[in-house]
Amino acid sequence: MQLEMKNIYKSFGAVQAVVDVSFSVGEGEIHGLLGENGAGKSTLMNVLGGVLPPDSGTVLIDGEEVTHLTPIKAAKLGIRFIHQELNLVNDLKVFENLFLKNEIVTAGVYLNKKEMIRRSREIFKRLGMEIDPTVYVRDLDTSRKQLVEIARALLFDCELIIMDEPTTALTNDEIENLFTIMRGLKAQGVSSIYISHKMPELFSVCDRYTVLRDGRFVASGEFADINEQQATEMLVGRSVVDDVVEKTNVVTEETVLDVRSLSCEGHFQDISFSLHRGEVLVFTGLFGDGRGALAECLFGARPITGGSIYLHGQELNTRSILNVIKSGVSMVPRNRKERSILKDLSVKDNLSMAYFTSAHKGLVIHNREENRRFEEQRQQTNIRVGNPNDLITSLSGGNQQKVIFSRWFGLESDVFILDNPTQGIDVGAKFEIYQLINKLVETGKSVIMFSSEFPEIYKIADRCIVMYKGEINREFSRSELNEVDVMYYATGSNRKAG
Amino acid sequence: MNNVLTRHDWKGVLKHIFVNYNYVFSFILLLIVGRFASDQFITMGNISNLIRSSVFIGIIALGMTLTIISGNIDLSVGSILALAAAISVSVFNSTGGVLPALLAATAAGAVLGFINGLFVGYARVASFIVTLATMVAYRSITVQMGKGGPLLTDNDLYFQNLRWIGYGRLGGPQGLSYLVIIFVFLTLIMWFVMNKTRFGRYVYAVGSNERAAKLTGIRVPGVKVAIFTITGMLTGIAAFLYAARFGSVDVATAGRMFELDVIAAVAIGGTMMSGGRGTVQGSFFGAVIIYSIDAILSAYQVPAFVNDFIKGVLILGAVLLQKALDRTSDD
Repeated sequence: MQLEMKNIYKSFGAVQAVVDVSFSVGEGEIHGLLGENGAGKSTLMNVLGGVLPPDSGTVLIDGEEVTHLTPIKAAKLGIRFIHQELNLVNDLKVFENLFLKNEIVTAGVYLNKKEMIRRSREIFKRLGMEIDPTVYVRDLDTSRKQLVEIARALLFDCELIIMDEPTTALTNDEIENLFTIMRGLKAQGVSSIYISHKMPELFSVCDRYTVLRDGRFVASGEFADINEQQATEMLVGRSVVDDVVEKTNVVTEETVLDVRSLSCEGHFQDISFSLHRGEVLVFTGLFGDGRGALAECLFGARPITGGSIYLHGQELNTRSILNVIKSGVSMVPRNRKERSILKDLSVKDNLSMAYFTSAHKGLVIHNREENRRFEEQRQQTNIRVGNPNDLITSLSGGNQQKVIFSRWFGLESDVFILDNPTQGIDVGAKFEIYQLINKLVETGKSVIMFSSEFPEIYKIADRCIVMYKGEINREFSRSELNEVDVMYYATGSNRKAG
Repeated sequence: MNNVLTRHDWKGVLKHIFVNYNYVFSFILLLIVGRFASDQFITMGNISNLIRSSVFIGIIALGMTLTIISGNIDLSVGSILALAAAISVSVFNSTGGVLPALLAATAAGAVLGFINGLFVGYARVASFIVTLATMVAYRSITVQMGKGGPLLTDNDLYFQNLRWIGYGRLGGPQGLSYLVIIFVFLTLIMWFVMNKTRFGRYVYAVGSNERAAKLTGIRVPGVKVAIFTITGMLTGIAAFLYAARFGSVDVATAGRMFELDVIAAVAIGGTMMSGGRGTVQGSFFGAVIIYSIDAILSAYQVPAFVNDFIKGVLILGAVLLQKALDRTSDD
């Protein structure tokens, strides 16, 4: 398939995710799409896969314009999408997932399970995967699920495969297998778009590249003409590196939080670290590293299965979130829409909610006091809002997130857990949030931040812990920080050698 | 939507009023329709009668509003009413006192609601299933208490001590019914709870986004237990008034199908069935509207078997209207 995307625009509210991007993929070409998180790769691919309609721009397939793409239409054209997030139904068996919406039936209605299982076995064998098609998907580990996702895309004939970070949870052998398959498909004239952060993979399997940054097209060309260093420079962009938030070191010797061999079965094991007063400690890693669960466990939102947490030398009881909050720990959760926003409540009530649960005295709410507190917080975090009684959903993403930050600022906590706090907000709001974090540590607070965006880590971290498969793989001090090394340990490259 | 409000301010304000208080308009519209059937329809006496007949449904609907805002449902209210009323009658017969009868009904309602809440909050069973089960179970207990037949209050005691609550009026025969006064009073209390207390905010928060609510430190299971207990308590109060009004409880039929009228009242009053939004004052009007529809249909001498059909259509219409209004206000 020959694909051409021309002048694609897509924005979500005030956030411009893709701005005037054009690129093309030739027949039998494996095209590497590069960019940091939030650069617009996934949005662009979702447009191509028919998941998101573009605001403007054209898609040409084999020279003909295709309009009103839907996932079904895209599938009919031979476009297969291997998603970054796993799109499998846990409560169905592996073969049922593989054939979901494409079931093989006899006599029009009766499911031909035997045939489906046989063909599932066949595809797994062809792909060199050892997976039993008759087990439930929920019983598979993350890496197996990812393999099933890949198998599903390759089960039927296709002309273009989009792979959005398909290897994040795979072992080296499995990745090598996938590459062999991709080269085989290439020989048959099938085109691929391969999205990955891992340079060695891109250089070994891809023919051409396109780099995106902040939703814009940066460059296109042959991988043969560049080296990894040049690719990284295009990816990161000089301007971003130069744009450093004034970071002053206010780290003290005083230990605020001490975590000792913390474990949560199935997510992470034996995590130990300590956090100092005035420090920004960043945890990073790749998909499947257990960071999300760690953030939840520190806040009492997920039960721990081993180890302990000491706050100011006293063991922290994480059995109840309210107790953790009252002890002086705040958290801005990841995925604002799912975990932070109370969509039916006003801006003001959203801001006050944590104060109500942990610090408010008496049952009755006094409007005057509420308004005063709101005004105080609004000025501190610079929330742009018309009427504080409007629904929170009337604000932009960045302003919503500032409200969520403010939710915790009035509580005088000592430790702030920030789980991906700049997810899905525009560059300007991100910058303001970095300033807020700096302000926090300058006033003697401590911050544990979870992030997967290196430019962000580089801007604010005093120390950075890289996780790999639920363990601490490496710790970097601020002076040691660089993206290549962080990536090296996040991918577990150091372990595979041994 | 925010921009629209500032650009056409007066239009926005009017729209805001209509979107948020449409149940008041519906009520006024119904009064006008009723006026064509009878000159007497829009009089203080008749309106007071409309409110009085909706008292039992209405008081329960106040509690159901909290339940539905929190994203739950309580199908057991009709059975709680019957059981609490039966207990209230027994206590009244043995003590002869109004206060013991009231306290017994309220406490019984609270306990029965509390049991619902435990299963929903801590065992995390879907409220639909929990209350479907307790609806049947509570009814069975009531029927056994009354051995199948009606439970009567002691006749002399009833006329001496209890009947005045069910039929009495403040300020003579033309005055306001005590039932109405109690209904209005409870509505005001629940309005206060939902708008001026932390607990009220928690109810909205849990219904809006349970996971986010949990992450702000709200003890979600505890809030759910409280909501079901309050619903049970209000149903208990309604049960006491029911006994005071009718003097007896038919254990098999008292409160049967009440849950449907109650839920309809809450829906008509503008509470979102998906949770997160709604008001108790809306449910007050919702309950009155249901009985106004009844009154109008009988004023037009519509046969009883058509009556329920029209009622069903009007309820659907009201909810569809709300959905449409909500969509325009949302995006």
